[in-house]
Amino acid sequence: MAETVIQVEDLSKLYRLGVIGTGSFRQDLQHWWSTSVLKKENPFFHLSGAEAGSLPKDHIWALKDINFEVKRGEVLGIIGSNGSGKSTLLKIVSRIVRPTTGVVRGKGKVSSLLEVGTGFHQELTGRENIFVSGYVLGMGKEEIRGKFDEIVDFSGIENFIDTPVKRYSSGMYVRLAFAVAAHLEPDILIVDEVLAVGDADFQKKCLGKMREVSHSEGRTILFVSHSMQAISKLCDKALWLHKGKMQELGEVSAVVDKYVSGTQQLKLKQEWATPEEAPGNDLVRFKSVELVPELLSPEAPLDIRTPLKVRFQFWNMTDDVILNTGLHLFTYGDECIFDVPSPVMRCDKGLVEGECSIPGNFLNDGSYYFSIIIVRDTSVEVFYFEECLSFEVEDYRADFQWFGKWWGAVRPNFPFRLRQKDSVYQQKYNSHS
Amino acid sequence: MPTNKSTWDWEIGTETSYLGASPQEFWSYRHLLASLVKRDFLLKYQQTVLGPFWILFPPLMTLVTYLLVFDKIVGVSTGELPPVLFYFSGIVLWNFFSSGFAGTATTFRDNSQIFSKVYFPRLVMPLSVMSRNFFDFLIQLALLLLMMAFYWLFLDWSVSFDLGLLWFPISVLTVGGIALGMGLVFSVLTAKYRDMAYLISLGVRLLMFITPVIYPLEAVPEDVRWLAVLNPLTPLFEVFRLSLLGEGTVSPYLLGYSVLFMVVLMVVSLLLFNKQGDKLIDIL
Repeated sequence: MAETVIQVEDLSKLYRLGVIGTGSFRQDLQHWWSTSVLKKENPFFHLSGAEAGSLPKDHIWALKDINFEVKRGEVLGIIGSNGSGKSTLLKIVSRIVRPTTGVVRGKGKVSSLLEVGTGFHQELTGRENIFVSGYVLGMGKEEIRGKFDEIVDFSGIENFIDTPVKRYSSGMYVRLAFAVAAHLEPDILIVDEVLAVGDADFQKKCLGKMREVSHSEGRTILFVSHSMQAISKLCDKALWLHKGKMQELGEVSAVVDKYVSGTQQLKLKQEWATPEEAPGNDLVRFKSVELVPELLSPEAPLDIRTPLKVRFQFWNMTDDVILNTGLHLFTYGDECIFDVPSPVMRCDKGLVEGECSIPGNFLNDGSYYFSIIIVRDTSVEVFYFEECLSFEVEDYRADFQWFGKWWGAVRPNFPFRLRQKDSVYQQKYNSHS
Repeated sequence: MPTNKSTWDWEIGTETSYLGASPQEFWSYRHLLASLVKRDFLLKYQQTVLGPFWILFPPLMTLVTYLLVFDKIVGVSTGELPPVLFYFSGIVLWNFFSSGFAGTATTFRDNSQIFSKVYFPRLVMPLSVMSRNFFDFLIQLALLLLMMAFYWLFLDWSVSFDLGLLWFPISVLTVGGIALGMGLVFSVLTAKYRDMAYLISLGVRLLMFITPVIYPLEAVPEDVRWLAVLNPLTPLFEVFRLSLLGEGTVSPYLLGYSVLFMVVLMVVSLLLFNKQGDKLIDIL
């Protein structure tokens, strides 16, 4: 079993809202006098258990009672809505701010990447910035020199390396900044939402680099992101924070699913009485979308065996138009599972109905959503109704004694045959004779 | 397997330490210090027409002003010394003190962005400011030496260096120490109480008048001299001139007072800076 490299114990952080920090000089003196000289409780707020409920109005727990451990080589994803305390947690582990209570213990060198381009200065050239930024992030001189070419190569901006970064496009700036960070070699890397910027290709490259770093080099990573896809791809475990408290901690797909279903309302049916209030535009408007599971009994859960039907109706507002529709299924990691087109049809003004059947024993367990696209002349998008249905598929295993998370976005029941070709003893006998 | 507490490499608790980063940790950030000094230097002079000449231009302008106002109009006595050398030596040392102090006194305000995003020993920042100012000081000092050589060669001004020259580095180091110490104390204050920042430039200007920059201590009337003597910078300016130019009024006691003041201030300010440093990030 790998050793624990980060241990977080009873961590809490109290913040004062309002005019930040600058209390009066007299208040600070009183505080200092009573806590340091008279060794009394803080006169402005009490942290003892009995009084914890009577927190002054302008104080807020950014984090409360956080406990977890991270093992060497593990990648821990931290998820939660805005203001849930993710960044505060990373700042405490990075030694930037102190906790109000509790303690963080760790082993090895920590580097944190809480913004893109820490230590970068607009007026300096790319080359100069690589050095300053590298030093700020805790690299040594020889380390940067040794990796300089690799960094420039990774960023892909060789031609601009001696240009001040103020002349860079924002994409180039991010590339260079991340290239420096990606070549850090700490034992523990702390990354906050930095991948939100930059183009998709580069994001992929960064994710790849981070995964490589954690899996092949045994580095531990704490990673905050709003992208469930990135979290699912990169992390082994996930921690879900909600209003500063730990909501869930565990294996990544389980936590992500709970987070997604906890924050997303399930939408199994939507209906609109009149075209005026329905979603759509001047050409088409939706009347209804509905997911109909063919359950074995009314009480049965929607699980992986359940066949599904998606039914939708829309008002078509133009005569003699060639339409077809497409049904897109996504996971909450924003990965598309399938894109099924309907037949193409000539439509007149009026109501158009569509229905698509998805067989049972096809989807894996998890949270999904449908989007429906309406296309004219098989090429022009008329309207895209995003996330119009969302649902959850529950797990079902009849013949398995194994209960880990089943891999894959789909779990199809393809014909699969396994049989004994011949026995080992017979083979031995044959070869000796 | 429960891990033994002593096996952890680091621990982040609620209390900040008075001692701050360990010497080893600080040493590992020496390249950061060097690159920050280089960066600031480049940023200041890279894109200006006159470049590094700007290090010399302001003190020269100040010298001209002082010569006009205090020498020609008011007629402050500069003793046996040529006014040019007298004023310029005062200006050079005072610049070192005032820009060192003012530069470090807003450490937390100026660096709030980077301090709230990455950890490194916070002391690196004020030290880089002091280093850059020391560098500026050396260049200005070179000009002073050139002026002295000029007076010695062409204007028949005689100066003899003796063992008193040993006091020269001590005076410079002590002035630098006081500037840094005061800067560290005020960096905490300006982060907590915003209006302090306005007081600093005012305070520095007032302080200059009770420091023998534009007048020799000798010229101060006996009955108000205590005010100038109370200022720990006074003996340092006098001994700076004495060691370089051969004229100044100072006693070993006063000098001891200044050095002791600097040492106590350094210790107190470092403790305060380290203790408060991490807490201040919350309120920046």
